[in-house]
Amino acid sequence: MTRAILGRLLTAALLLTMLVALAGPWLPLPSPTERVGVPFEPASWSRPFGTDVLGRDALARTVHGGRTLVLQALAATALGSIVGLVVGTCAGLARGGPLKGVLRVVDGLAAVPPLLITLLIAAGRPGSDFAVLVAVTLVSLPFSVRVIGAATARLAGLAYVRTALARGDGRFAVIRHDVLPNIASEAWAEAGLRFIAATQLCATAGFLGLGAPAPAANWGRLVRENAVGAGAQPWPVLAPALLLVVLALGMTLTADRLTSPVRRPRNERNTAP
Amino acid sequence: MIRFGLTRGVTAAAMMLLLSAVLFFSTEALPGDAAGVVAGADATESERAEIRKRLGLDEPAVARYVTWLGDALTGDLGRSSAAGRPVAEVLASRFGNSVVLVGLAVAGIAVLATTFGLVAGLRAGRLGDRLLSSMTVTLIALPEFLLATGLVVALAHQGGMFPAVSIFPPGDSPWQHPDMLVLPVTGLVLGGLGVATRLVRAAVVSVAESPAIEQARLDGESGVRLAWSYVLPAAAAPGIQGLAVMAAGLLGGSLVVETLFNYPGVGSELARAVTYRDAAMVQGLGLALAGSALLILFVGDLLAGLLNVRSRPASWRRAERGAP
Repeated sequence: MTRAILGRLLTAALLLTMLVALAGPWLPLPSPTERVGVPFEPASWSRPFGTDVLGRDALARTVHGGRTLVLQALAATALGSIVGLVVGTCAGLARGGPLKGVLRVVDGLAAVPPLLITLLIAAGRPGSDFAVLVAVTLVSLPFSVRVIGAATARLAGLAYVRTALARGDGRFAVIRHDVLPNIASEAWAEAGLRFIAATQLCATAGFLGLGAPAPAANWGRLVRENAVGAGAQPWPVLAPALLLVVLALGMTLTADRLTSPVRRPRNERNTAP
Repeated sequence: MIRFGLTRGVTAAAMMLLLSAVLFFSTEALPGDAAGVVAGADATESERAEIRKRLGLDEPAVARYVTWLGDALTGDLGRSSAAGRPVAEVLASRFGNSVVLVGLAVAGIAVLATTFGLVAGLRAGRLGDRLLSSMTVTLIALPEFLLATGLVVALAHQGGMFPAVSIFPPGDSPWQHPDMLVLPVTGLVLGGLGVATRLVRAAVVSVAESPAIEQARLDGESGVRLAWSYVLPAAAAPGIQGLAVMAAGLLGGSLVVETLFNYPGVGSELARAVTYRDAAMVQGLGLALAGSALLILFVGDLLAGLLNVRSRPASWRRAERGAP
């Protein structure tokens, strides 16, 4: 019972965090890049979180710092799903052939630390949020292709798929009508897991200083730049850190609940053709 | 076994080649190429062309990649454009520090994850397991930099127990400054512990259901002795493999932790090179880190293959068919 209440609370906090991240920049707050006081001014009525390392309004910076992160993670997840669905279903239906060989190497790459690859890919275009988005998408692709490929391969051996292929249905028609409806729940679940990983990676990229350069606010970077003053004024660090914690934990638990065995029959009923 | 090792080795080499190409071509396109940096702002076009020719930048990218890879294989990683030092020299002076940091973290995680994994796995579903599972879920969900920053804020800024930065004189070894190792190592341990505990627990749960353990239980074995003498050896192979994946992942985590603490390792140097747009440095250090990750994964695979008594013939058969 308490677990259920805790879960509801966390979901509510998650939705609120998402709302702050996406709609925050529209709030009537001071400019996030303008200096309004001395560094690490304590919290007051006019500045609830005080000021940050350069004397900018910490609340305004926090509120502006989430949109890029959430949009990056969403876009990377969507892009990854599209490519993963195309390559994964084709590879799953193909028996042997060069595609499988390529997939095996890509599979091995999945074990190399994603953060390292993200940094190396994004390093080529310093200061670009788009480069971070591309890097995070590329890093998460192997997972998507593998899960979708495995789910498709399970269906590829079934009689109805083989019948459809044997009677001359086009490959894409088979994928559209016979494969996709039956792997939908897996595809949503793996997209959820990738969204969590993408949020972590985008936040860490901000922490390492990748993406839009210095005055731009980003929860990852806010934690980094204000950590030096955390002893004197914890709010500029705590606020973005807490929002990231709620985002990470909330999404993990939500994904967990949606994919747990109790819920699965309902999902399958919803997606059955 | 030799063929198994060979196939794994060839796969690792192919991945290394692919990674090096990705690394080279993504960083080759750094805006404002090296000729512009060397020549300065008011160089004429012909001077730039001259420098480009001298640096070999007029050759096609593929040719430059082959030259770079050949040089890298002989230990010549080029020269840093920001600091002017040979990249190999910087790498040599930082590599040992990173090995100490990551090695200590791996050792800590191995001990803790084995203990927690055994406790949770042998009591699957009970209170201890549920508590430990909540802990691992939390640790996995949180990005490494948040955990490490939390440590700094709590123990260095508020508590004042350990230094918040780990800068020590260039010639010193990290062993001479154990107080500066505590927080970085703890940060790395927290970052990898969740995944490792979950892997060990899964291995223990599957082993605990096997007939051999059932028999040992019926023979009256229980507690620590059952865990140590029966469950652990059977769970060792998947455990080692999981540990290798986790150790390779720690190389990514070390980027964050070393940067946060200004620890003089390969990761912080790489992050700094990215900030300074130092292409040769990024390529050289990136190659070293990616190579280390693949090497760890390769060794983990081999060890797991050697340890796994039951599936050893199967892996021979698979290796004979040419599949990994």
